[in-house]
Amino acid sequence: MKQKSSLSVMLNGIIKENPVLVLILGTCPTLATTNTVNGAFGMGIAALAVLVCSNVFISLLRKVIPESMRIPCYIVIIAGFVTIVKMLVQAFMPSLYESLGVYLDLITVNCIILGRAEMFANKNTVVASALDGLGMGIGFTLALTLMSTIREVFGAASFAGNPIPFMENYKIEFLTKAPGGLLVYGLLIALIYVITRGKAPVKTSFSCEGCPHAASCTTVNCQREGAEN
Amino acid sequence: MKNNIKNLVVFVLICTVMTLLLATTNFFTAPIIKENQNASANKALLEVMPDGEGFEQIDISTFTLPATVSEVYKATNGQGYVIKLVTTGYGSDMVIMCGVKVDGTVTGAVCLSSNETLSKEKTYGENFALKDAAGVEAVDTIAGATKTTAAYKNAVKDALSSVIILGGGSVDLRSEEEILNDNLSTALPDGEKKFQKVFMVELLEGIDAVYEAENKSGYVFVSGQQFIGVKADGSVVTAGVEDTKLYSDAVEKIKSTTLKDVNFSKYEELKNTIVSVKKTASGNFVIEAKGAGYGIKGGDEYHPASNEYIIVRVAVTKDFKIIDCITVSEAETDGVGDACADESFYGQFVGKTDKNYTEIDAIGGATMTTDGYKQAIERAFNAVKILGGAR
Amino acid sequence: MDAFKTLIVILLSSVFVDNYVLSRFLGICPFLGVSEKRNQAVGMGVAVTIVMLIATAVTWPIQYFVLDALNLGFLQNIVFILIIAALVQMLEMLLKKFIPALHKGLGVYLPLITTNCAVLGVTINNILDGYTFVQSMVSSLGCGLGFLLAMVLFSGLRSRINNANVPAPFKGLGVTLIAASFISLAFMGFSGIVEKIFA
Repeated sequence: MKQKSSLSVMLNGIIKENPVLVLILGTCPTLATTNTVNGAFGMGIAALAVLVCSNVFISLLRKVIPESMRIPCYIVIIAGFVTIVKMLVQAFMPSLYESLGVYLDLITVNCIILGRAEMFANKNTVVASALDGLGMGIGFTLALTLMSTIREVFGAASFAGNPIPFMENYKIEFLTKAPGGLLVYGLLIALIYVITRGKAPVKTSFSCEGCPHAASCTTVNCQREGAEN
Repeated sequence: MKNNIKNLVVFVLICTVMTLLLATTNFFTAPIIKENQNASANKALLEVMPDGEGFEQIDISTFTLPATVSEVYKATNGQGYVIKLVTTGYGSDMVIMCGVKVDGTVTGAVCLSSNETLSKEKTYGENFALKDAAGVEAVDTIAGATKTTAAYKNAVKDALSSVIILGGGSVDLRSEEEILNDNLSTALPDGEKKFQKVFMVELLEGIDAVYEAENKSGYVFVSGQQFIGVKADGSVVTAGVEDTKLYSDAVEKIKSTTLKDVNFSKYEELKNTIVSVKKTASGNFVIEAKGAGYGIKGGDEYHPASNEYIIVRVAVTKDFKIIDCITVSEAETDGVGDACADESFYGQFVGKTDKNYTEIDAIGGATMTTDGYKQAIERAFNAVKILGGAR
Repeated sequence: MDAFKTLIVILLSSVFVDNYVLSRFLGICPFLGVSEKRNQAVGMGVAVTIVMLIATAVTWPIQYFVLDALNLGFLQNIVFILIIAALVQMLEMLLKKFIPALHKGLGVYLPLITTNCAVLGVTINNILDGYTFVQSMVSSLGCGLGFLLAMVLFSGLRSRINNANVPAPFKGLGVTLIAASFISLAFMGFSGIVEKIFA
C-alpha cells in the first residue's frame, strides 16, 4: 500500500469509503440503533472509540502478533475495548446505556472493527491506523446520525428527543419500527447511487470482504468484487 | 511446535493484558455504576411517590405481608410506603412498584419489568394514581389482556393491604379468608396458595389449628398468632421455630391416624340423636350428632321451619374434651341462625369440656339455634359416655 | 404446566414476534449475504441454529458458575466471543473428520458464524433476560429457527427479484433492503398473537 497523506487517510473513511453507505459494513447497529438520534450518535461514538483504540493497539502489536493466531488476538483486543467502553458508558451515561442495551456488547462483532484491523491496522503505522480508525469512526457516526435523523424526524416528529411541533400531525410511525429501518437504509443507498451518478462502487451483493475471515477463508465462495478500491 | 508455543504465549499475554485493563476500568467504574443503579432505583421510588424525598428499605421478615410483596421502602418523611411486588401476569413475572400513602391512597404504580406480550402493563398503573381502596376496586381490567391487568390490580390491592399491616391505612381490602390464605402461603410457599383446614382428631399440644396444602406438599400449624409451615416429610420450613420435633411429630400423628366405625345400633337412645360414630386408635371419638334448632322447633308464618336438624361433627377425647368441632349441615334462618356454620362460632367449642361448653354465648337473635347446637354437643358427649368414656 | 407454557411462549415469540433478523437486526449480514440461493439459506440457517444451541449450552453455565461466582462479570464479552470462536473451530474440525458429508453441506458457513452477531447476541440476551438453563436453550432454539425461517422466506423472494427489472439506483442492495423491509413488516403482524394462544 503506497503512503498516503494523513488527511486523505482520514477523509477516505468519512466519504469515499464510508463504512455504512459505501462499504455496507456494520449493518446490524446501523439498522438497530438509528430509531433515535441520541442512540445512533451514542452508538457511533462508542464504536469510534473502540475502533481507534483497537486500531492503535493492533498496529502497535502488529509485529508481535503471530500470523496464525491473529484473529483470536484481534477478537480479544476488540472485545476488551468494547467492555471498557461499555463500562464507561454505563458509569457516566446510564441513559445511553439503557437505550443501546445489548447492541453495545455487539460492537465486538461489528464487521467494521475487525475488518479495519485485518485490512489496515496490521499493515500500517500507529499514527496512520489511529487516523484510519478516526476517519472510519466519524464516517460511521455521520451515516448513523443521518439515518437516525430521517427516521426520528419523519417517524416520531422529534430531533434528538426534542419534539418538532409542526411535524406532529404528519409523522409516519412505521419509520421508527424495524421495517422502517430497512426501508430508509434501502432508499439511502439508492440516493447515494443517484448523487454519485453510479460512479460509486455499487455493491451488488454482500459478499465476504467485510467479513474478518475474508483473508484466511478459502472455502467460502468469496467473490471479492469491488472490495479493494 | 516451538512456533506454536510462542504463538500461544503471545495470545495468553494479550489476554492477560486485556484482563488487567478491564479489571482496572472495572475497579473505577463499578462503584459509580452501583451508585447509578441505586439512584435509578430511587428514581423509580420517587416516580410512584413524588412527595417521598428519601426512602429507606425496611425489614419485612417480621410482618406477615401478602405473598406478592418482595420489598418495602418507607419514605423518610413519613409520607407512606413504596412496595415492590412480584406477580405473575400472563405467563411472565411482572415487577410492580406501588406507592401508598399512610392514609391508604395510592400515589402511583409503575411496572418496572415484564415480558407481557400486549404491553398493557406499561401504562395500566396510571389508572390507580390518587385512588383509595374503593377507587382501586373500581378500576376495570382491560379486555383482551385480562390476565395481565387483573394480576396488576391484585398487586396494587396487596400493596394497600401491606400498608395496613405495616401500620397505616384504614381498611384491609383482603377478606378474612384472603388474610388467612396469605398467612398460610407465607408459612408454606410450596402449598401454591391452596389450603384446606384439617379436622383434628388427636390433641396436639400448643396447636390451635392445622391446614393441609391441597397439593399435599405439607401442613401449616397455627399456634396463637404464629403460622408454622411443615413439609409432608416433617421438615419445618418456617424460620425461627425452636421445637421442630413437636411439629414433625404432629405431622406424623396426623398422617398415621386411622378411624374405625363404631356400631351403636344396640343403644336405643343414640339411634335418633347420633348420625355416626368413629373411633381412633388412641381412643378418641369422632361423632356426628343432631341438634334440634330453629329448623325443628321454631317456625312461624314468616320463617317456616325447615324440619332439618343441625348436624355437628365433633372430635372428643375419652375424658370429654373437645378436640375439634365443625358444622356439617344446618338449615337455620338465613342471616341469623346460619351463623352457626361460621368458624367464628363453632370454633369456640374447641378445647371445651363437658363441664364448660354451655358457657359459650348464644348467637345474637338466634337463641333457639344456639340451644339446638349445644344439644348436639351434649348428645355427642352422651354418646362418648355410653360407648366407653373413661369417666 | 405453567412452566411448559412459558417455554412455548418463549419459543414462539423468538421465532415470530421478536425474530432476531427481522425485528432486532441481529445476523442481518448473512441474512442479506447468503440468502441468494435456497440451499445456501437452509445451510446457513441450520448451522447458525446448531452453533446457537451449543454456544448457549456452554456459555450459560460459564456465566453462572464461573464468571458470577468469581465476580468476573466484566469478562463476559471476551469469554463469550472466544468460546463461540473456539466452538465454531472445533465443530468444523469434528464435522470434517467424522461426518464429511455434513461438513460439505454446512462447513462452508461455519467460519462466517464466529462474527455473526446473532450468536453472541443470543448468548448475552439469555443472561440479560435472566432465563433458566432450559429457558435459555429454548430461546436459542427459537432464535435459530426464526433465523432459518427468515433466511428461507427471503431466499424465495430474492430469486424473484433477480429476475425483475429494477430501476438502476435500486439495483442490488437497494431493492434487497426494501424487500426485507416488507417481510419485516409482515412479521410485525405476529405481535400479540402469542399471548392470544393461551388466552
